[in-house]
Amino acid sequence: MSFLSRRGFLAGTATAVVANGAVAPRVLADIKPRVTVISQWSAGSDGTAISAFGKLFEQNGGIWQHNPVPGFTTEMMNKLRAQIMSGDPPAASQLKGPEIAAWSKVAPTNNLDSLVADADYEKFVAPDLAKLHKPFGHWIALPLQLYRINTLFASKKAMDKVGATKLPTTWAEFNALSEKMKAAGIIPLANGGIRWDDGMKWEIALNGISPAAYRKAVMELDAATLMGPEVLAAFEQTRKLADGMNPNIAAQNWGVQVAPFIRGEMGMVLMGGWAQGNIINGGFTLDDFMSGPAPQDNGKAAYIMNADAFIFWKQKAEDLQAGQQLMAKLIMQASTQKMYSQITGSIPVRTDADLSGPGWSEGQRNSAASLKAAVAANQVMLSLAHNMAQPNQISAAMIDVLTEFVHNRDLAPKKAQQRLADAIDSER
Amino acid sequence: MLFTLWTAWISFTPSTLMPENGFVGFKNYASVMATRNFSVAYTNVVVFGFCFVALTTIMGLLLAILLDQRVRGESVLRTIFLYPMAVSFVVTGTIWSWLLNPGFGIQQLVRDLGWTEFRFDWLIDRDRAIYTLVIAAAWQASGFAMALFLAGLRSVDPEIVKAAQIDGAGPARIYRRVVLPSMGPIFIAVMVILLQNAIKTFDLVRALTGGGPGIATNLPATVVYDLMFQRGQLGRGSAAAVLMLLTLAIILIPYALYQRFRRTRA
Amino acid sequence: MSATLNKGPRASAMWSRIAIYVVILVFAAFFLAPLAVTILTSVRSNTEMAQRSLIGWPQHLDLSNFAVAWGSFCIAEHCTGIAPYMYNSAVMAIPATILSTLLGAMAGYAIALWRFRGDNIMFGLVVLGVFLPEQMRLIPWTVVLRDTGLANSLAGLIMIHTIQGVSFTTLFCRNYYLSIPQDLMKAARIDGAGFYRIFWRIVLPLSPPILIVTVIWQFTGIWNEFLFGVIFTSGTQQPITAALVALGSGGQNVHAYNVAAAAVLIGAFPPLLVYFLGGKYFVRGLTQGAIK
Repeated sequence: MSFLSRRGFLAGTATAVVANGAVAPRVLADIKPRVTVISQWSAGSDGTAISAFGKLFEQNGGIWQHNPVPGFTTEMMNKLRAQIMSGDPPAASQLKGPEIAAWSKVAPTNNLDSLVADADYEKFVAPDLAKLHKPFGHWIALPLQLYRINTLFASKKAMDKVGATKLPTTWAEFNALSEKMKAAGIIPLANGGIRWDDGMKWEIALNGISPAAYRKAVMELDAATLMGPEVLAAFEQTRKLADGMNPNIAAQNWGVQVAPFIRGEMGMVLMGGWAQGNIINGGFTLDDFMSGPAPQDNGKAAYIMNADAFIFWKQKAEDLQAGQQLMAKLIMQASTQKMYSQITGSIPVRTDADLSGPGWSEGQRNSAASLKAAVAANQVMLSLAHNMAQPNQISAAMIDVLTEFVHNRDLAPKKAQQRLADAIDSER
Repeated sequence: MLFTLWTAWISFTPSTLMPENGFVGFKNYASVMATRNFSVAYTNVVVFGFCFVALTTIMGLLLAILLDQRVRGESVLRTIFLYPMAVSFVVTGTIWSWLLNPGFGIQQLVRDLGWTEFRFDWLIDRDRAIYTLVIAAAWQASGFAMALFLAGLRSVDPEIVKAAQIDGAGPARIYRRVVLPSMGPIFIAVMVILLQNAIKTFDLVRALTGGGPGIATNLPATVVYDLMFQRGQLGRGSAAAVLMLLTLAIILIPYALYQRFRRTRA
Repeated sequence: MSATLNKGPRASAMWSRIAIYVVILVFAAFFLAPLAVTILTSVRSNTEMAQRSLIGWPQHLDLSNFAVAWGSFCIAEHCTGIAPYMYNSAVMAIPATILSTLLGAMAGYAIALWRFRGDNIMFGLVVLGVFLPEQMRLIPWTVVLRDTGLANSLAGLIMIHTIQGVSFTTLFCRNYYLSIPQDLMKAARIDGAGFYRIFWRIVLPLSPPILIVTVIWQFTGIWNEFLFGVIFTSGTQQPITAALVALGSGGQNVHAYNVAAAAVLIGAFPPLLVYFLGGKYFVRGLTQGAIK
């Protein structure tokens, strides 16, 4: 037996002794669970929510060492890369979608299977979501909160002006309402001008036309479906959406238009559930707008999902290991998820969460109910624009095409469809 | 320098999220050059580089000449023209994105004053958005160009100027015939510094246009960063970076040769 | 060449003076516009901005933004405002500025005044450093920091900024020192002065104008650097730019533009001060040969 493996063996025995033997309680009692965490949540409700989580962690006897990396997601990834390269990965870091699988090949992660089993948690997580967090059969990351991407908001004033009382439920109804609004001098769609925003419009269109095609084209990159009629129809619908957008948005977040939207100068918003926060934060109330699922032509609930998650990196120090266990336990708890979602406006990951009490909005209840229905109908989709469906290089290449399409009226849907397929081919 | 070699090496490897060893030949170069992003970015950097260098040089020179007319409050004015350099684009870019936004920026403000037909919507125009980058970049850099030109103007030998005045030359003529020709090296220095600025432009794009509308305002530096760190394609990103450096070299080598030529002549 | 160029009949001279001032004022307005918007934003309330427009005249003067920005704004759980980040930036920028200026002065002196074999190649290599975009240096620096054990420390950032700054400072100083007559050097050498003695006794005393140029250049550059600052530090060690970006980017749905604007104004104060104090010397230093 070589020196190295013998040391490994001894260490293994020692851990086993600590875990099973009588010494364990005393040793563990001396260790204060500690976590080092990297996230990009620094300001606004995201900052508030992660701070509240940190406080909860401390109340449970832990030491919370959060390192927010402000700016774009790339900065956070760079920070993570720098930490990993220095041999000092954080105990947990914010990461989402297929990137969890990609990054888990870069450095060793923790196997959370026993913790998930202890909490009997898996049955409460939507299967498509669970898959992302156990990419190679084992849980290595845990989702924290969910947003529905395909959410439609409508301005009460604008709806009154055109005499509409309920949200459109199909694209035909949506387009008819848009035309009515246009005729009344209202800009139908208050959109943002950032590239993921353009990608979102297309994914909402495709999912509304056919969730089955969305799954094949976006999530499975099936070549035939990508060149098929549903995807073409999605491009055509996206063109209609683009024609109804405020052209003057440039690279601003949609939120700069909250005021004209509420005043009824703009009619509708297609955005994730967080948009409600923009409106409330602008000093308006729930009576100023209506919200519900985006148009769905097949009439069954479909849910494009965006989820934030933490990945857990393997640690040597015992206090960090203990901290990871505590953190994982807390994340899985219904009460934690409730606290978190009530601050950010998202919905809990747990499909058994009860949103009937105070502190929840109608929008969140609607989102949670449609998630349940979508799970039952097997129509839960993963968002392309929010990097849930594909690894970043493929998402980005696809969004290149989509954002150009939205901003270039001369680009025909047919041609854009071909470009999309080509862009995917070049990344395969 | 070592870092450059390192980047060149990575550009031939299959690296994705992390630097890796291995050799894939020119594969990364081929796939980078095949993307629309890359061709758009390269066309853009030519347009942007040319317009930015020209506009900034002209503005800097004009400001320097104006300030050189013994104006009152020169130090205050100089500070006004220099301050944009002291503030990073990470923050001022946001303000520019507001000012140039047709919805509530300059266009709307002018319309509110009564000129309801006023149009200034380059930021949302695919073909013109690149010029908004030029405006904001020139705003930041022309103070520096001004300082260099002012320094140049002040180091022109007063005797020569006096001689020209005695010959009866007017101010415009003196500048054109006597002063500016003696500032050749300064022009070169200003232009080279601005050019490397143009090629490295990154923060500005992120803050002002986010590369949009569509992908219309991507520049090589943003494409490199995006490939390396957003898309997790270190190999391809490095290939794009090497191509970018080669472009720089094409511009810098003539400059270096010119310097050498000047030195041997002197 | 401040020689008077306004000869000719008095009336036309007066008109041309007026024209000069008008043009200057138009330019000044263009340059000041973003600053004006920032100031206006910093005294407005968030609700007002959301309900009216991002750019606009404040309805009520809300000076509390400055107090919030300075001392109580939360970046995640750190509700300290930007004050400690300002301190971090100062701790980082001041030593890095001094070190890179001194090293650059010595390197420039060596290249300019001590002709040695390969000095031009050496100079070329140093200058090439100026042209490398910083994004490309990110991963190599990570490796260097790991190997030197300086990851996640301000000392690491000081090292990076010093080394990166040396390219610029060497370039500036070398050009400046070229104008020091070789005779002076020869005389000193005949007197038996060595490399360092000549530097301290002769070159450095001649240097203030160019040193001011490099100090301004370095200080503002380092103060405003974001990418390395945010990636190579952790939590409470982050520099001011990280705090400004945290404030400016906000969350998914809440943007405290007003507090961010106030923070930008406070955060820009040190470099502006350096410019204001050094502006006169900046031009003078450049005049004396920084751009040969």
